[in-house]
Amino acid sequence: MGFLDSIPTHMDYTGQKLAEQIFQAIIMLFGVVGFVWGYVCEQFVQTVYILGAGFVLSCILTLPPWPMYRRNPVAWQKPQQQATIAPPAETTTQSARKSGKRKDKSR
Amino acid sequence: MNTLLSRANTIFAFTLSILAALTFLCFLTTVSLDTKKEVKITTIKHSVRHTYTQYGENADLGAFYFDLQANLDPLFNWNTKQLFIYLTAEYETSKNKLNQVVIWDKIIKRTSNANLNFNRIQPKYPFFDDGHGLKNNQNITLTLSWNIVPNAGLLPRVYGNGKDTFGFPSEYTTHRI
Repeated sequence: MGFLDSIPTHMDYTGQKLAEQIFQAIIMLFGVVGFVWGYVCEQFVQTVYILGAGFVLSCILTLPPWPMYRRNPVAWQKPQQQATIAPPAETTTQSARKSGKRKDKSR
Repeated sequence: MNTLLSRANTIFAFTLSILAALTFLCFLTTVSLDTKKEVKITTIKHSVRHTYTQYGENADLGAFYFDLQANLDPLFNWNTKQLFIYLTAEYETSKNKLNQVVIWDKIIKRTSNANLNFNRIQPKYPFFDDGHGLKNNQNITLTLSWNIVPNAGLLPRVYGNGKDTFGFPSEYTTHRI
């Protein structure tokens, strides 16, 4: 599984939302067009085929993590140096660690 | 949506939901269409023979030829897979108020011609009465009915407009029929 795990599949949060909007729009559009076309030529199977084409197209566009879905990466904090969290002298070690974390988040 | 498989699953489920909705809409577009059509049936060469059922009971066996004209092409739309048409003989005997015997049927597929014009057709199935109800019975009514087999929706049973009423002779025939 090492090879499979090395393939990047990750999208950032904005990209996930965009991907969902894109495939929903594509499939609904193909569904509407297929419905009209199937009604015109009196073949429901044409509707199913066109919807299937929409499925394939949205798979191609939204399954792989294309660069457009990775434009807004989450800005992670830099790892803190151990030395910067200096425990205040009067508190215990545990509570000092907690207050240090809280400080990180608020920054 | 953060992994490949969860995206594939979401897209597939969404496609199936849309397909189900489209199928239901397809049913809605055809549910109110008129399914009654004109049918013309005529019969000739009626005869009736005395015979026995497989259980050894007395039985009348009727025979005739029929002509059938009906244009069922308009019944095909995008929600029709095929038609099942069948010819029913209805008559009254002293034993039973209503007897119904299906004596002929046919499946009409989408691709085949549904403008029917049959001449001198023999019934496909034997026309038995469980007694002597066919001899000299002057009121046998033939009607054509059909089931419309849909892609989705109801399976209506429709009686065609038009019937043929005939009688069987008062003597048994000795010929093989």
